[in-house]
Amino acid sequence: MDIKLMIVDDSLFMRKMLRGILEEDGYQVIAEAADGIEAVAKYQECRPDITTMDIIMPTKNGIEALTEIMALDGGAKVVMCSAIGQEALTQTAHAAGAKDFILKPFNPERVKEVIKRIAGV
Amino acid sequence: MDMSQYRELFISESREHLNSINELIVALEKDAGDRETIDSLFRIAHSIKGMAASMEYADIAELAHKLEDLMDRVRKGALPFDGGAADLLLEGTDLLEAMIADVEQDAPASRDIRGLVQRLISYPPPSTEIPSIKTHKTEQPPPVQPVPLNASGKDEGRQAGSDASQTVRVKTDVLDQLINLTGELITNKYRIMTISSQVGSGSLDEACVELSKLLRGLHDEVMKVRLIPFAAIADRFPRLIRDLAKKSGKEIVFEVEGREIELDRGILEELSDPLIHILRNAVDHGVETTEERLAAGKSSRGRIRLAARREKEQVVITVEDDGRGMDPAKLIASAIEKGVIKQEEGWLLSHREALMLTCVPGFSTAKEVTEISGRGVGMDAVKSAIKALGGNILIDSTLGQGSRITLKLPLTISIIQALVVNCAHLKVAVPVVNIIRTLELKRGLITTEGKHKVFYMGEEAIPLVSLNRIFGLPLSHLTGEAIPVFVSEVKGRKVGLVVDRFIGQQEFFVKPLGRPLVKLKGLTGGAILGNGEVVFILDVANLM
Repeated sequence: MDIKLMIVDDSLFMRKMLRGILEEDGYQVIAEAADGIEAVAKYQECRPDITTMDIIMPTKNGIEALTEIMALDGGAKVVMCSAIGQEALTQTAHAAGAKDFILKPFNPERVKEVIKRIAGV
Repeated sequence: MDMSQYRELFISESREHLNSINELIVALEKDAGDRETIDSLFRIAHSIKGMAASMEYADIAELAHKLEDLMDRVRKGALPFDGGAADLLLEGTDLLEAMIADVEQDAPASRDIRGLVQRLISYPPPSTEIPSIKTHKTEQPPPVQPVPLNASGKDEGRQAGSDASQTVRVKTDVLDQLINLTGELITNKYRIMTISSQVGSGSLDEACVELSKLLRGLHDEVMKVRLIPFAAIADRFPRLIRDLAKKSGKEIVFEVEGREIELDRGILEELSDPLIHILRNAVDHGVETTEERLAAGKSSRGRIRLAARREKEQVVITVEDDGRGMDPAKLIASAIEKGVIKQEEGWLLSHREALMLTCVPGFSTAKEVTEISGRGVGMDAVKSAIKALGGNILIDSTLGQGSRITLKLPLTISIIQALVVNCAHLKVAVPVVNIIRTLELKRGLITTEGKHKVFYMGEEAIPLVSLNRIFGLPLSHLTGEAIPVFVSEVKGRKVGLVVDRFIGQQEFFVKPLGRPLVKLKGLTGGAILGNGEVVFILDVANLM
């Protein structure tokens, strides 16, 4: 499988865990970013097929980063990661172009399912 | 999914966050309206919650969640950030720290979080007014401006993602292993050089010179890897000062400078306790109460400044306060009264020497033992700890204006320069930093005062002690006109230590002594000479 992913999360723990889940299914994680600014810069640089985006982050939050990425690339596939209780935010993200949501704490099966659907495989 | 592989990462990342919380809360108490700080606090609690939930540490996740909720209320303007909120958050941070320590030690989750969780939910307590920190602040901080939910504002980005791609996390034992191997290589270099001098081969000598250069380079690089910014310990102190000031009812402004100055992690780890003690003294004995300060025409708030700076091959750390200062005459009187020094000795002490009396074991000028400075551990313990690191401590003080404690520390440990001396059949290495002077002392210059043999260095009478005698070795009959002596400081006093012979100076890789040798007083470690011979490293500060 040749699907390239970028993981955006301010927590190293979360990035490593998500990477572990995705690599188990044979996805290629080509980039990680720890905040919104880095996410936009790395998106331009590596053009991943799918991006997982945390919402609450320093410097530029996930929704701002999503909006900028969608402006750069209308076809970008961005999946938001949000915690329980952030339903209002997920609606805003959906309106800004997010393709789907993964709930934290991550359930590996649910993560794989969502990514599989977005990847269309 | 096997989550145990992420456990260490959870512990280290949570700890980083908890350290930041302490700092941020103290900063927020100074400026309760700072939105960036409020956002950062919210985000950190949120992050810990997410990690703990993933690891299925339900209690940690629950407590972090309640801290996040409290900060969310502050963020949305529903709750002013006041002293009570700060106290609750700090209490939560302490409890989380304890719970994470439990995780690290595989202890079962046994902490009771219910009481605190309940207080977090129902804060502010409905029946009472919002409590304020009367002792710490002169007025209630202004309520926080409402912050839109999605605002992130600018942030210094302490998680700095852009740096993350160029750095790797390395376990500290790997770093220790690197320095160990480098040390062993240095020991081996001396072995090869010894052989080389016996063989008398020009090309082998050249190879040795090259090897020395390469090892010097390796040593420098390995030491660089071990450097950690001073911030790693200094960032805990604002919280400490805040708590101490609150407890003693004093108003204190605390400043830290030189957070970025780098030190060897081994030194930094050993530095934390002595600095805590010095800072406690500054709060407890240095800075006066508000009433005293106002009566003395000073500003009501005391000031304590912690600063680190690099000076050539040393790091200099200072703790300054603008408090009441120390009175040398009182110190001398107290020392005489306690029998630490004799009356006539007291007359001879300089201002600075009188101040150093505070570091003599058993000496304390505090009229009462307070909860803050505690019992038992005094400045003498601070001084021994600093000496053990190969450092030095200086005290300056002006009565009525304040005190300054200066710590001078080497940049590295483990690999040191030392002078090898002979005592009977034994070879001992004396760290160069502990030697004030070496001399071949002419017999005619030795006089007897009371029971002691002394010699004069300038105006100062230096007692002579035989190192052989200290170690219980047979005394040698030195026949020459002059005897080898090195002058060092033992428990605050200059002493001339007589040895049989000076052999020479070289660098040593010091290894800790195993049991039962570790119990021997006056020795701090061992090292191996080029010819395979073992030498002991002298612990001058604890020799007698």
